[in-house]
Amino acid sequence: MQGIIGAFPEIDCAVHAIEALKKERLGDLTVYTPTPRHEIEEVIDRGPSRVRLFTLIFGLLGASFGYWIPIWISDYWPIIVGGKAVITWVPFTILCFEVMVLIGGLATVFAMFGLAHIPRLTMTVGYDPRFSSGHFGIWVVTDPERTDDVINLMKKYGASEVRRER
Amino acid sequence: MATTAAPLPGGQRPNIPSAAVHFPAIRDYEQVDREIAGTLGPSLGWFAALGVAILCMLIGALTWTYQIHEGLGAAGYQPPVMWAVYIVTFVFWVGIGHAGTLISAILYLFRAGFRTSIYRVSEAMTVFAVMTAGLFPILHLGRPWKFFYLIPYPNWRLIWPNPKSPLVWDVFAILTYLTISATFLYVGLIPDLAILRDREKNPVRRQILAQMSLGWRNSDREWRHFTRAYLFLAAFATPLVLSVHSVVSFDFAMALAPGWHATVFPPYFVAGAIFSGIGMVFTIVIPLRKVFHLEHYITLNDLDAAAKLCLFTSTVVGLAYVTEFQIAWVSGNRFEQDYFWNRVFGQWAWAAWIMLICNCVIPLSLWSQKLRRNTKWLFFLSLTTNLGMWFERFVIVEPSLSHEFEPWQWGGYRPTWVDYCILLGSFGWFFMWFLLFIKQLPVMAMSEIKETILPRMRHPHVDESQELEQGGYANQMMNDPPLLGGSH
Repeated sequence: MQGIIGAFPEIDCAVHAIEALKKERLGDLTVYTPTPRHEIEEVIDRGPSRVRLFTLIFGLLGASFGYWIPIWISDYWPIIVGGKAVITWVPFTILCFEVMVLIGGLATVFAMFGLAHIPRLTMTVGYDPRFSSGHFGIWVVTDPERTDDVINLMKKYGASEVRRER
Repeated sequence: MATTAAPLPGGQRPNIPSAAVHFPAIRDYEQVDREIAGTLGPSLGWFAALGVAILCMLIGALTWTYQIHEGLGAAGYQPPVMWAVYIVTFVFWVGIGHAGTLISAILYLFRAGFRTSIYRVSEAMTVFAVMTAGLFPILHLGRPWKFFYLIPYPNWRLIWPNPKSPLVWDVFAILTYLTISATFLYVGLIPDLAILRDREKNPVRRQILAQMSLGWRNSDREWRHFTRAYLFLAAFATPLVLSVHSVVSFDFAMALAPGWHATVFPPYFVAGAIFSGIGMVFTIVIPLRKVFHLEHYITLNDLDAAAKLCLFTSTVVGLAYVTEFQIAWVSGNRFEQDYFWNRVFGQWAWAAWIMLICNCVIPLSLWSQKLRRNTKWLFFLSLTTNLGMWFERFVIVEPSLSHEFEPWQWGGYRPTWVDYCILLGSFGWFFMWFLLFIKQLPVMAMSEIKETILPRMRHPHVDESQELEQGGYANQMMNDPPLLGGSH
């Protein structure tokens, strides 16, 4: 993968640079921020995360499984107490809730890992340690003939450092 | 993630709404990294504290081996009281674990800004408290190696546990709570581990941190999914907080013993758990902010807001005590009435009055704003809260078992040295993990604190009032001396 990476000490410069890069369609952008910033989210405009789908689906599956466990146990080994129902919904709802939270919660985290592409095994290209501290970064994957345009644009909008990486 | 608001000028004691958080002495992102990462690394005092914690834990462990050899009689168990200090301490530690998730999840959903500086410590406290609590049902068993009978797995002769038993609900609830709390703690740590990785010079430590941070790079893709996942985890953890101690209360409320069989138990237990958890947060946070010089992060405004929560839950607990007595009075049930009379004016009066004074009388001092902002008083109050809440569980468990329906069933209970040593060991176990945590991992969420600070801008285009509303005091502070004294 070949691209250009730019470091911006100021957030407004990074926002303007992203706007310009998107407008010029100079390549695929990845933006690094030390903390989530609404200004950046708005200008990148990626749309809502699909994590919610996994949360919903696995939450419902967990609830079903949470009911299934005690129903199956009660059916397999019935404890018959004077006229009382063997399968009783009220106490089983407690187990249903706990298993729903367990499976739904864990599925949410694993969905986040999958969608965010982590764990990441290599970090050699397109990243700078300053991006976790105080700088904002833009990584642009672009064609070799357009790299100069990207570099000039980033410098024009206030990048403190711009470099090619491959 | 956190809500921000501007501080009041002039050293006044402001009436801070819970959403107001500000860090006027923090200028930029790099300062956050530098100061919080600076708390890591062992010191002589830390080694001494860790040594004491490990010693206490070893005392508890050796005592347990003695108890296994001698039997549960060594712990003072005698009919009719067969649930004793271990069950009391189990409920106590589960309760301590509640405040962490309350602060990290519920207050996150409510956008209560004062949580920002204390939630990491509280979350860690939750995980370690639940780990400690999980030991006690095992310690309580005469044959602890058979604890797996409670797990929904067919044991010998293919017998499954009874899913209608509150003890089985407890296993599900506690394991789910431990798993989700630990996951929530770890997920929140990932961006901070990446910060530590990027600052680390030692290649071995850097590699370990790289593995632990899963190669996190702060990209827009990662943040987009991270913030959603964090929100949904908080949404899951919120009812979980309420459910876990409700389920623990069912251990008692489902039984027919006088004093236990009451519908008020779930809200009563939840409020008590939050009250005791906030108390433990104060016990931990107040020395921590002093030792680590974090007064400009954990400000008096934050402690003030947490103290209000403590006061509120104390009044709920007080109301629950009154309700219990009122129900016994109007019920006309002789056994209930005798039990409550015996609790307060009879055999257990000494424990009941310690509970009432610590949980209902002393917290009333928090109506005074001056005392809510006095760290010495808050620390003292946190100790009395911990004591009072331990005695609350003692008063719930022992008087009921020792004073059931028939006079020939009545008896007494006195803890032995084995109980005390194992109680001491549980504190050693808890603080050992906590001390290891605070020197290996950041005690505050660096990336979340950064959200409350205005980032550097080349062309600031907002007016001052708007900037202050957004919590950005940084630019103004660049020209002023630090307000360390003014904010706390």
